[in-house]
Amino acid sequence: MGLSAGIGAGRLVGARLAFQAFDGLLAADALHPPTRKRYMAAWLGIGLGQLVVLVLIARPSLLVASVPAYLIGALVTGLTGGVRLPKRIAGTARLGWTLRAWLRSPIAGMLAAIVLILLLLPARTLGMNALMAVIGVGTLLSALALTPVDDAIVRFMTIAGLGSRRILLHHAKSMMAFLVIAVPGCWVWSGPVAGCVVFATGTAIVLLMTLRILAYRLHGNRFADVLVSIFAGLLMLVAYAMPVALPVIAPVMLWQLHRRGQAKTWLLA
Amino acid sequence: MNLAVELTGVGVDRGRQRVVQDVDLTVTNGAWFGLIGANGSGKTSLLRALAGRLPFAGGSCRIGGEELADDRAARAHRFGFSPPADKLPDALHGRDVLELVGGSMDDVRLRLGKLHETLGVAPLLDRWIGDCSAGMRQRIAIAAAFAGGHPLVILDEPFNWLDPVAIFDLREVLRAMVDDGLTLITALHDLGTLASACDTGLMLADGKVALALGENAMRIAAQDPQAFEQQTIDRLRSGSTGQ
Repeated sequence: MGLSAGIGAGRLVGARLAFQAFDGLLAADALHPPTRKRYMAAWLGIGLGQLVVLVLIARPSLLVASVPAYLIGALVTGLTGGVRLPKRIAGTARLGWTLRAWLRSPIAGMLAAIVLILLLLPARTLGMNALMAVIGVGTLLSALALTPVDDAIVRFMTIAGLGSRRILLHHAKSMMAFLVIAVPGCWVWSGPVAGCVVFATGTAIVLLMTLRILAYRLHGNRFADVLVSIFAGLLMLVAYAMPVALPVIAPVMLWQLHRRGQAKTWLLA
Repeated sequence: MNLAVELTGVGVDRGRQRVVQDVDLTVTNGAWFGLIGANGSGKTSLLRALAGRLPFAGGSCRIGGEELADDRAARAHRFGFSPPADKLPDALHGRDVLELVGGSMDDVRLRLGKLHETLGVAPLLDRWIGDCSAGMRQRIAIAAAFAGGHPLVILDEPFNWLDPVAIFDLREVLRAMVDDGLTLITALHDLGTLASACDTGLMLADGKVALALGENAMRIAAQDPQAFEQQTIDRLRSGSTGQ
């Protein structure tokens, strides 16, 4: 915990300094080494203070380990970070945009489905449970990769007058291609249970993507992400405690978000 | 008179504040209507409300003779509207933006007509919005307003961030399109363009009509742009309202 807090704090301070160095009003200060050091020391000190208070409340005996871990985390981030170029200047943003745009294309879904089916060949030597685990994990990873949602794109499509259905279709093309190939493919190669695992896992991720899109139509990305986390947690709780209620609660949740989103179409506040 | 837009006593709220109140205006078909005013005078809010991007808080809005004050979506369907250039998503190509707004690129190209060349759209199609300069984003945003082929178009300060050549060319092409039947409503800060290109106009101050500029007033303005500029600046400085 101390290590991750140190890394987190180091990154936050580094990001703030990088912003000021390239785009902020305090560029001269952000590029001045002594001022940078004082700024970092002050904010990392505040982070350390908070950590110490937390640890003292939770378990004081961990103080001996968590403080050095925090300092190591912050130091490592400071040594590896430096003045980090904003993504747009470094050119890594473009790579991300290209990759995400490609992942939304049907060809990406088809390729992912073929890779999953090919994975079944060596995995068939495993036992039934292990095989299902491979299929489940493979589907989960593929589906997560194939459903990137950019909040800025969702909001632009909303102000351009596109409804929830069009925005969903725009984002779900690759996932649909994946499911169309992977479900029957796994069914034929490894039996109906495998097909059902792919379908259920894929549908769950499509549901998550739908929640994100509907939430981004309504709210800024931070609040929307929190909302989606709450809804997803709620759905998982229902699926665990009362699975028969899931087919009722999930559509009601989506319908509510959709209806509220309809009122936002075209809106440019 | 063949009216494209007729607003009577309209108001627009932003949050809890009324930023536009009791505005009357008329725009005839096939005319260029210019809206001027100081920063924060309510130009953008009024245009967004007219284009269905904000609700009207009151008043009457007739478009093509049909009362649409309470139907935001119907208003949005009637107008081509340029999205704010800074709202274009970084992770889309210029082509994606235009296709999302206007359908297939072939159709969009056809609808843009001469604007396609004037705005230099071709080299922007395969460029990430995130890689575009402010002027390039503005070109895409203007093209988006025409991508749907609407006969009524609203542009909010279209000449911002454009270079002088692009401003000149765009103004000429827009004027030619208006002469061919387009109804254009623009917010402007450039009084020269208002005087030389617009058929009628309106000055807003503190969300109210400060000065209505009819065809005669605009004709006089075109004859003596310097005098018009001086008078307009005086009015903007005073911020006083009155017809």
